Amino acid sequence: MSYIVSPDVVKYACTCGLLKPISCLYFCRYCCELRCGFCVCHEVDSHFCGKCCENLPSSEARLKKNRCGNCYICPCCQQELSTRIGSKGPSNPEDPKSTPKKMYYLSCLYCRWSSRDVGIPDQGAATGGWPERENVHANRLQEVIEGYKAFITAQRQQKEREKKKQRGKFISYTDRTGVTAAALRKRIGLPAEVPNTYYRNRPKPPEVAIAREEVEDFPEDLLTKALNLMEITTIDQRLLQPDLQPTTVDKLFPIHKQLSIKRSLRCRSCEHNVSKPEYNPNSVKFKIQLFAYYHIPEVRIVTVEPLRAGKTAELILKFTNPTQHQTVITFLPLDLTDKGGDGDREVVGETQSLNLPEKQPPSLGGQPSSLLSLSSRQPSITIKPRPIRQATNCSIAIPGSKVILPPRDDAAEYDDSGETHNIQDDTKLVVWRKSNKAFVKLAVTPDDGLELNTEIVAGFTMQHIYTNTIATTVENKEPDRHDHNVRVFLSLGNLVGSE
Amino acid sequence: MPIYETLSDRLTVVLDIGAAYTKFGFSGEYAPRCIIRSEVRCKKTNQVRRIFDFKDEQDLYDLLVDFIHTLYFKYALFSPKDKPIVVVESLLSPTLFRETLAKVLFVHYEISMMLIVPSHLVSLSTLGAETALVLDVGYIEAVAIPVCFGLPVIHAWQALPLGAQAIHNNLRTLLSSENTGINQLPETVIEDIKVRCCFVTKQKRAEQFNLAKPDITFAPEVKYPIGGSDIITISGKVREKVYEILYDEDNDHLSLSTMILDAILKVDMHLRNQLAENILLIGGSVMAPGFKARLKDELHKQLKYERYKKLRIKTFKFHSPPCKENYAAWLGGGIYGATEVLGMKALTREKYFLENRLPDWPNMRDNRTL
Repeated sequence: MSYIVSPDVVKYACTCGLLKPISCLYFCRYCCELRCGFCVCHEVDSHFCGKCCENLPSSEARLKKNRCGNCYICPCCQQELSTRIGSKGPSNPEDPKSTPKKMYYLSCLYCRWSSRDVGIPDQGAATGGWPERENVHANRLQEVIEGYKAFITAQRQQKEREKKKQRGKFISYTDRTGVTAAALRKRIGLPAEVPNTYYRNRPKPPEVAIAREEVEDFPEDLLTKALNLMEITTIDQRLLQPDLQPTTVDKLFPIHKQLSIKRSLRCRSCEHNVSKPEYNPNSVKFKIQLFAYYHIPEVRIVTVEPLRAGKTAELILKFTNPTQHQTVITFLPLDLTDKGGDGDREVVGETQSLNLPEKQPPSLGGQPSSLLSLSSRQPSITIKPRPIRQATNCSIAIPGSKVILPPRDDAAEYDDSGETHNIQDDTKLVVWRKSNKAFVKLAVTPDDGLELNTEIVAGFTMQHIYTNTIATTVENKEPDRHDHNVRVFLSLGNLVGSE
Repeated sequence: MPIYETLSDRLTVVLDIGAAYTKFGFSGEYAPRCIIRSEVRCKKTNQVRRIFDFKDEQDLYDLLVDFIHTLYFKYALFSPKDKPIVVVESLLSPTLFRETLAKVLFVHYEISMMLIVPSHLVSLSTLGAETALVLDVGYIEAVAIPVCFGLPVIHAWQALPLGAQAIHNNLRTLLSSENTGINQLPETVIEDIKVRCCFVTKQKRAEQFNLAKPDITFAPEVKYPIGGSDIITISGKVREKVYEILYDEDNDHLSLSTMILDAILKVDMHLRNQLAENILLIGGSVMAPGFKARLKDELHKQLKYERYKKLRIKTFKFHSPPCKENYAAWLGGGIYGATEVLGMKALTREKYFLENRLPDWPNMRDNRTL
């Protein structure tokens, strides 16, 4: 599995135009396209605490401000705090039989910070009950927010009322008779103008803060007292508690642990999931995992001869078929302009104006429009794939013959009976094969006139037959087989000197 | 759980991307959920990159995609798709940056609507005030914009590259003269030295610095450990002198104090006193110990000079916002986001895609109605 951490020497071009190793790619079975973390839609599946593995519904997580109620992290070093038992003297000193009372405090096993350091009293219960701190400005801020809310609401209502007035649905006959409302009001001794409802119902604006001439005085003891660095918090410690931002360590308080999430990934063009984890935080399995590694033949570099400018070198690649179906690999020259056959899809350009795609997710296709509006999911916008920036400086002689890869057979590993497949291979192309793997020899020629130590990158288009096992229609039980093109880039190493 | 669904609809993300730190939280809350460095770990080179160190538009787009991904999936913990957002930004934010941010949010993350609020204006809402002079001392620059009756007076804006970056560079130079190997120190260490050891000294002492024989004893020195093996000495002189760069007049005789006075000078005469008596300081750099006391002294000192005599200002009054100064602008955005203004003024996705651009104050097309 070294290719997960090692430098990515074999990269596949995702449909969105980014180059990624196969371990970072997904394969949408419904669109038959490669997808990567950049071009799928991420969604939050479930919230859980990474320490106690408690699963929280999203509404509860929201109420708790995305933090675990029971687990705390150290305000000094951000490690998780553990609850420790400290015994207090017996509750009744005279009675020798009374057991010592158990008291709990929080302690960081990493930096030795403990809740006793800052004077938080020990708790009688192991979980919860730790004092929470309120924002000191909470009352004032509440007043300000309420004030602004009321103000804006009043403004909006006023606007609506004006709009209604302008419409003039009813003709006022009093205007024609000369007896206007204003004239009537005058006759009975009221002011002519109706006071504007806006001003009448105007909400009280929040009290304006008063600026003061005196500012915080210069802390004189900074000049005389020696500074103890151990007592002053670092900026990271301060920003961990944005509302308090304590400057000295005696004001550090334990912080609730931030929750983690499980993500599901959705293909942006067909709205199907390409990856969906199991709900349980303890499980590392997936409900849906359409990783490219399980669908696209994997290419690995086996050997490459020393590369010299303008000289042909031999390159051996290993192809592995991960699927349960036989596939045929055809080599095609690299075509960087190829869009991968999504011409009929609506694309968002950088310059062209965009229309929101009107099409609905396929699952909703047959529903009446009233139901469609209820669905919370809007179809995604498809982003135009970007051009591939990777330049190649090495040509690959494209072989004319094809390579057949038998299906993967997990039992073949233990089968010593030898090759059972009877495949007529082009011996110039296929060097060796075993079960679902084949070693293929290719000739590569780095471009002329390259400098020494230039990184050589070669590329080709790998066409393989993909067998789609999703039964698209009921009557069509035959698996759907079609060609799928993947652009593969190989970093072959640096150019060496001539001989 | 239909009851909670309505609750979730009310959750509006408020985002203030600063050059050094990003403030992120939800509207209607009293403090941001997190204040994190505006940086992203580059997947290819595995190096941490600041967002504002971008090379071109494409590069910025990728950086912002990664950064907003961390914000939503590490802190907000919900999908940004079809959710509104409030973005707090400076009126002087570069067009390239704000357009790219909008593109990332609308195209990549498919947010439903976006409300952009100017940082200087909204920070006043924390006070409930309508008229004040707002000085924002951030990382790259300090910007002063007077706000009168809820309208930022843009023609009176003042900006100088006096921010945390200038202080860090100054600290590096000062430390290098006394220690070796300072240039190799990462900026986070320099920042930590500044935050924990340095302070803004008094005006009387600052005048002594330039004399040949200062008649003062400097503050005690600090031994600062580096990496567990080295110790550098930060002398009292360095601790006091670092912030002087903000108050020393440059070649054009400009400093923080003249910025405020120049901004007041450009405003209508009747408003000048009112602005001088309503000064609001925001931005992380103003939280340095002694900053405000010194600024006040400097303002009074400048008043004695000929160029500001005509102002006839007697007193300067400072507001203290109900929050820490470094997230005052964010809090203002949070207050705006909690009101119905979001539904009235926000730019919806449909509207954005009509023209693929953001409305902006320098653009005459957006100012036509005025």
